[in-house]
Amino acid sequence: MRRLLLVCVAVCIAGVSLAQDLHVPTSAVAGNEATIATTGSGNATFYLLGPGVSRKNDLNLGADIHIPPQDLRNAGHYLAVLCSGTCRSASFYVNADRPASLAFLVHPSRVAVSLGDAVSGVALPFDHYHNLVLAPVGINFQIAAGTTSLFSRPTRTQDGVAWFRTTSGKSAGIVQVIAALDDLSAKRVVQQVASDPCNLHINGQRTAAGILVQTEPVHDCAGNPVTDGTIVTFTATGANGKSTVDAPIKQGIARAQIKTPGAALISAASGVVMGNELRIGTQP
Amino acid sequence: MSPRTLFVMFALLLVSSLFAYADDAAVQVQLDSKKAGPRSVETLTERGIVRDYRLAWTNMSRALEFNNLDPLDGSFIGEVKQWLRQTITNQHSGLSQRYVEQSHKLEAVFYAPEGDAIELHDTAQYRLQLFDAGKLVADEPMVVHYVVLMTPSADRWMVRQLQAVPEF
Repeated sequence: MRRLLLVCVAVCIAGVSLAQDLHVPTSAVAGNEATIATTGSGNATFYLLGPGVSRKNDLNLGADIHIPPQDLRNAGHYLAVLCSGTCRSASFYVNADRPASLAFLVHPSRVAVSLGDAVSGVALPFDHYHNLVLAPVGINFQIAAGTTSLFSRPTRTQDGVAWFRTTSGKSAGIVQVIAALDDLSAKRVVQQVASDPCNLHINGQRTAAGILVQTEPVHDCAGNPVTDGTIVTFTATGANGKSTVDAPIKQGIARAQIKTPGAALISAASGVVMGNELRIGTQP
Repeated sequence: MSPRTLFVMFALLLVSSLFAYADDAAVQVQLDSKKAGPRSVETLTERGIVRDYRLAWTNMSRALEFNNLDPLDGSFIGEVKQWLRQTITNQHSGLSQRYVEQSHKLEAVFYAPEGDAIELHDTAQYRLQLFDAGKLVADEPMVVHYVVLMTPSADRWMVRQLQAVPEF
C-alpha cells in the first residue's frame, strides 16, 4: 500500500512538473520579434522581465508566445516566467543589432601645434536602439585639414570601444577629426593654435611720452602667428629702477608705451621665452 | 510642536536613514582596475566608481521594487535611464522586482585617455524576485555579466550603459 502511495506521489509530481514548460530563443537580435514555445495544456500566466520591459499575459499552454520587436529593443538579459499552478522560468539574451551610429569623444577642442600625444579620440558603435555593439568592427580614425589628410589610423573595436592618440599637427587652424565605420562617420572639430612664441624680437624708440616699444610679428617655432591676446611683458631698467608693462599681442604684434625719463635697457618675455635687449637713450 | 512629536519624527528619520544605509551596504562591489587602459585608474577614482556603482544598484533596486522613478535621477543617465523608466512604467500593472543578496565583481577594461568614460565588466550575482500584486512569483538565483559604461558628472560617476551579455 505504502509503495503504491509513493508511486502515486511520484507520478503526481512528475505530472505537475511536466504540466508546462517554455523554450526561449537561443539568440535574439534587438528590435526583432522572438518566439517562445510553450508546452502543456490549460491556462497559464506569462511574465517577461528585461531591460525596458516588465509585462504579464494570460495565455493557453501549447501555443507560441510572440514577443513583439518593441519589447526587445534593448540588448541584455531577459527572464521569461510561465506559471500554471507552479512556475517555470528561463533566461535568454538579446544582442545588439548592426552599428547605426557612432559616439565619438575627442579631446581637446583647442590645442597647441606639435604637442606630443595631445589629441585623443574614443569611438563607440551603437545600433539603431542605442545598444553598444560589442562584436569587433573596424573604425578608421582620420585627421584632415580641408581636403588634406594629416593622419589616418585603422583600428578595431575591443569590448565595443576603439580609440587613438596622436601628436597635434604642425600648422595652426581648424582640423577635422573623423571616425568612420563603413558608411557611418562622426566628425569633430579641433582648433590647432600656435605654440609658445619663438625668437621674440623687439624694437623701440623714444617719443615725447616716453619709450614706444613693440615686437616684430610674433611666431612660434613652426612659423605660425601666435594667437592674439598672448601676453608679452616688457621690462625697462633705468637709473630710476625697473618698470614693467604687460601688453597683449594684437594682430601679431605686442606694443607698449613705457614712461621712463632717462636711458633704459628694455627687454621682453612671453611665457618662458626671452627676447632681445634694447638700449634706448635719453634723446628722441 | 511637542517634544514627543519631535522625538517621533527624529526616530522615524533615524530608522529610514538606517534602512537606506542597510540597503546600500547590502550591495557588495569589488573593483579590479589593474587591466584598465590606456589611462590608469587612480585610487580616488577607483573609490568613487565603487561608491557610485553600489549606489546605482541600490537606487535601481529601490526603483524597481517600489515602482518609483525618483531614485533613478542621481545615478543613471542616457539610454539606461530611459529603459529603467520604461520598465517601471510597465510595472504599474502590479508587478515589482527585487534584487537581493547582490554581489558585483567589477573589472575595468577601458579608461579613456582623458578620463571621461570608463568601461567595466561586472559579474553580478543576485537573487531576482518577481512579485505580482505582492505575491512572490519567481525567486531566481542569477549570475549575469554586464558591460557597463560610466561617465563622470559634476560630483559623481553616472551609469550610462548597462548591458547584459552571455559572456565576456
